Parts: sequence; C-alpha cells; structure tokens
Amino acid sequence: MTTWIDASCILIVFFSLSILATYRIVGMIQIYALQSFVLSLMPLFLHAGNVSSRDIVLSLGTMVLKAGVVPFILFWAIRRISMRSEIKPIIGLGSSIVCGALLVAGAFWVSMSLRIPGKAAADLGLPCSLAVLLLGFMIMVTRTRAVTQVLGYLIIENGIFLFALSLFDSMPTLIEMGILLDIFVAVFIMAIVLNHINEEFEQGPDPEKQVKPREVF
Amino acid sequence: MLILITLIPFLCGLSVLLPVTRMFRIRLFVIVSFVHSISVASFWCSRPTPEFQGYLVLDALGLLFLSVISFLFLSVSVFMLGYFKHEKRNSRTFTACLMFLLCTMTVVTLSNHMGLLWVAVEATTLFSAPLISFHRTRESLEATWKYLLICSVGIALALMGTFFLAIAAHQVDSLMLPAVLSGASALSVNWLKISVIFLLVGYGCKLGLAPMHSWKPEAYGRSTGMTSVLMAGGLTQCAFLALVRVSQICFKTGLGQFYGSILILTGILSLIVAAVFVLGEKNLKRSFAYSSIEHMGILVLGLGLGGVGIFGALFHVINNALAKVVMFLTAGSVAQKYGSANSSDVRGVIHLYPVTGILLIIALFGGTGMFPFATFHSELMIINAAVMSKRYLLAGTIVLSLGIIFIGLAKIVLGFVYGRSTEPVLPKRENAIMNAVIALAAALLVVLGIWMPAPLTRVISDAAALIGSTP
Repeated sequence: MTTWIDASCILIVFFSLSILATYRIVGMIQIYALQSFVLSLMPLFLHAGNVSSRDIVLSLGTMVLKAGVVPFILFWAIRRISMRSEIKPIIGLGSSIVCGALLVAGAFWVSMSLRIPGKAAADLGLPCSLAVLLLGFMIMVTRTRAVTQVLGYLIIENGIFLFALSLFDSMPTLIEMGILLDIFVAVFIMAIVLNHINEEFEQGPDPEKQVKPREVF
Repeated sequence: MLILITLIPFLCGLSVLLPVTRMFRIRLFVIVSFVHSISVASFWCSRPTPEFQGYLVLDALGLLFLSVISFLFLSVSVFMLGYFKHEKRNSRTFTACLMFLLCTMTVVTLSNHMGLLWVAVEATTLFSAPLISFHRTRESLEATWKYLLICSVGIALALMGTFFLAIAAHQVDSLMLPAVLSGASALSVNWLKISVIFLLVGYGCKLGLAPMHSWKPEAYGRSTGMTSVLMAGGLTQCAFLALVRVSQICFKTGLGQFYGSILILTGILSLIVAAVFVLGEKNLKRSFAYSSIEHMGILVLGLGLGGVGIFGALFHVINNALAKVVMFLTAGSVAQKYGSANSSDVRGVIHLYPVTGILLIIALFGGTGMFPFATFHSELMIINAAVMSKRYLLAGTIVLSLGIIFIGLAKIVLGFVYGRSTEPVLPKRENAIMNAVIALAAALLVVLGIWMPAPLTRVISDAAALIGSTP
C-alpha cells in the first residue's frame, strides 16, 4: 500500500506544478479538482488495506467537499468575470516552472534533516506536503487575479491536509480540524462573491467618486 | 455555565438573521452582551469547573482575556444604540456576525486544547471579515479582501504549527494543554522549535505584528469605529492569548530563551514600523491603526522579556483594550459626523462638538501612554523589564519609538481638534450615549492608572505565574 501512498503524494505535487504552468483559470480549477480527488483517495490506503468506516467517511467527505463543492463554487464565481485567463502573471510561465522545481527540491532537501518519530526515513508525506505548501505560496504571490490567489490558498490548504493525512491516523481531532478548515474554505469563497461586487463596480466609473472624493462611514 | 455563555451569543446570532426590525437586533445584542458580562463578572467570585471533557477550562489567563472581551462587547453594543440612530444601512449581517464573534472569542479564551484554540481563532477571522465591509464601498471591500487573504494564509501556517506541535508531543499523544505541560520533558525539542516558528508567524499575522501588519491600516481605516475596537482590542488580543499559550509550553520545555528572543525581535520591529509609518499618515483611523501595531509590539515585547514584563504585558492587555475603546469609538463618532476621517475634511471639531473634541484629546493621551492613564504604567513596566535584563539599547529604542509615535499621533489629532472648523454632514448635536460610553472607558483607564484593585492584581499575578518565570 505504501506504493499507492507514494504515488498519490507525487501526483499531488505534480498537479501543483501543473497549476503553476497553466494559463487559463478554468484549467487551473480543473487541475485543483483532480488534485483534491487524489487527495481524497489517500485515507483508503493508510491502513495497509484495512479500510475502516472512519476512513471511508473521511475520504467521501473530502471528495464531496474538495473535489466537488469547492470547484463548483469557483466555477460559479468566475462565471461573471469576463477575463477567464490570468492577464499578467508576475513571473512568466517558463520561469515559474523552474522556480517551482527549485522549491520542490528545496522542500525535499529540508525534510531530509527532519525525522518524524515513528515514520520511515523514506516516507514521502513530509517532503511532498512541504513542496505543495511552497508551490501554493508561489501561485498566490505570482498571480494577480483574486480567483488565482484563492486557488493558491486552496493549494496551500491541500498541502496541509496531505501532511495531516499521511502523518496522523491515530489523531481523529486533528483530522476533524482539517475538515473544519474545509468548511472555512466555503466561507472564504463567499468573500469572493463580495469581491465580485467590487469587480462589478470596476466596470464603469464610480459616480460617487466623481462627485466628491469622500468616504462614506 | 461555560457552554452556556458560548451558546447564548451563537443562538441569538442565528435569531437576528430572521426578519426583525433594525433596532430590535441592536437591543438584543445589548442584552446578550449584558448577560455575558454579568456571567463573566460572576466568574470573578467563583471560577466555574471544566466542561466539555476538559476542552473548555477557565484559568486565570482565560478569565483576564474573557473579561476584557466581555467589556469590549458591552461598550460597543451600548455605543451602537447611539450610532445606529444616524445609520441607514441594514444591521442584519453586522449584528449576527458580532454575536458569532462574541461566541468564538469566548471559545478562544476558554479553550484548553491547542487544536480547539486554532479552530476558534480561525473562526474569529471569518466572522470579523464581513464586519469590515459593513459599508459596501470599494475601498472597504478591498480591505476585507486583504484581511481575509493575509489572515487566512497566516492561520493556515498556524495550523501547520499545531501539527508540528502534535509531532513534538508524539509521546504525550495529546494536545490538551495540561497534558502537554506535564509531559514537557518528553517533547521533541527540534520539532517544537519548528512548531513555535510556524505558530508565531501564523498567530502573528492575526496579531498584526510587523512585517505581517499590512492588513491593519486598511482594515481599521475602512471599517466603522465599532469594528475597529473589536478587532484592535478583542481579535488581536485573542491571537495574543494564543501566543501566550505557546509561551507556556516553551517556558516549560526550556525554550523560553529561544521564543523570547524571537518575540523581542518582532516586537521591536513592530514598534519601529509603527513609528516610521505613523508620521506621514493623513487619516485618523489609519494612524490609530499604526498605534495598534505599536501596542501589539509592546505586548509581545513584554511577553518576550519575561519577569516583570509578563505582568506588564498582561496588565497592558486590559489597558490596550480600554484605550482602543476610547480611540476608535471617538474616531468612529467623528467619522460619522463628518463623513470622513481624513485630515483634509475634518478640522476644528472642538468648536462644533466640544465633548467629542475633548474625547479626541483624551484618546491621544490615553493611547500614547501618558500619565495618569494606566497605559503609562504598563508600558513603564515593560521598559523596566528591558532595563532590568540589561538590554539598554532595546529600552532606548522602545522609548524613542514611543516618542515618535506620540508626535505623529499628536500632529494628526490636534489638527482634527483645533483650527477653523469644517462643515459636518450630521446636525451639530452631541450624542449622549456614544460620549458616555467613551468617557466611561477613559475614566476606567485613569482609575486603573491610579489605583489597582486587589482582585485584579491577584488574577494578573496568577496568570503571570501560569506563564512561568523569566526566560
């Protein structure tokens, strides 16, 4: 079963890298959904073939929330935005892949010196989750649109989830917290809707602004 | 009892979502805050027993922070009675979020489990965000966005830190605070160090410590005075409580020196950043936001210096909250009267609104830590802690930064108060309820500066003893 876990870990890092190399927002959301789908299968591999009911619940919950609801809300959110692609990434796509690869290497290098008690040294959980975390940060920093920043945040969150999943199967409360963070994501996306009001305003000049440059309190 | 004081605000928060009148919502909020304060006051006589399988416990530290939060909500709710007389916007989301915020902040002060603490702090971020964009202006939406983005990423890092802490406490196999503290010798020091750094950065974002402070001037500058009070006095201090909990673990495991030095570094950096940026500021609320960054720096410095500094920091938690009530509520009242908080739009407040003008001056002196306000004493204690630990350069930098911040704030506040008056948008009438709330907080700040009640001293000493001795 470790092969499955390792394969999933590497796939998740790979998906983060490909989001970094994607130009269209729709494509980015699709890759995010795929990544979350792989992530949601991981609880099933954790106990070497013995799947308990808690694993199934966790897996299903993650799948519905992360691979279903969140991408759906994101698609719904960008429906109103006219520009479907990232206009100007701060770093070009080619160089951002190189930077991303460097970050992945860095994550593996850092985790070489960290040994988790009770885990084999070759375990991929820690380096992969660190790599996903860093890539998420990179997406957040280099992309300018609000939706892509949220995607960056979601990838950071997937990295943390991966970390929690591959390191703790004996700590139910922590995993519950991870799910709580997911609920948070749903609320977070409501903020996008708010931001949309903002973007709708930006379509034309604000009449209030032209009359008098005063704030309303 | 503990579950009750968290559930009541939550249920009332749900109930105001129903279609009821605007003033009913606000009156309900006043009642909820009043009930909350009464229950918290009763805790000073007899401490409640742990509840919810030991997840909710009220220790001396929790009691101190809970009382501060309860007072903040009470004063804000009464202030709202006056404020909403001239406010046309619907209060539904606003009051609901306020009550949810009261609920989650209460959980922060009560939580005895590092995971629950994280969940509660994160929930406070969510419920405070809609408060910032109460007036749906473009700028306030932008501020909300910035706040949400920075704080949620920060809080995600704190979650990572909590997981690292769980690895460090591998042998304890629990994140309950008493279990971690009693098994402190079994913690893995290396993992604990990583965990501490993540937790500090994560909760530091929420606290608005430099260099993670950039959301603060935006959020406080664009939101109403009430929101700023609750954020500067309540929300950020909740995050400070999280840092205090981390320091409890650090002092037990002998990492006090390590943690203390990082705290001192971020604390002094916050002071310097506040001092540099406050000088060029043209907006009253934004300049008060820099003052908030300064106060957070002072709190963190006190915690990092240890010894008398810890006592000073805990005392400063109370004083900071009171000072913020005076500062931001006055600023909110001025902004409502003039429709702006920019120095170009507002001058000569004292000629049209004498009481508000005087309150502005009091806010200046209270907020910058002048005698006889209690902020003076707590800041002095922390500077004293720096001198006693022979960090003379640090003490000098603190004093210098405080001086510069005083000049910066004085410049803008005096410009507001004096000069030829500009035309306000509201009738030239003072609002008695709003002024009474601010005056009460100012009076309390003076009283605490002159005389400290014995029960308060005892609780602060107990709380300081919980954190541990000098690093």
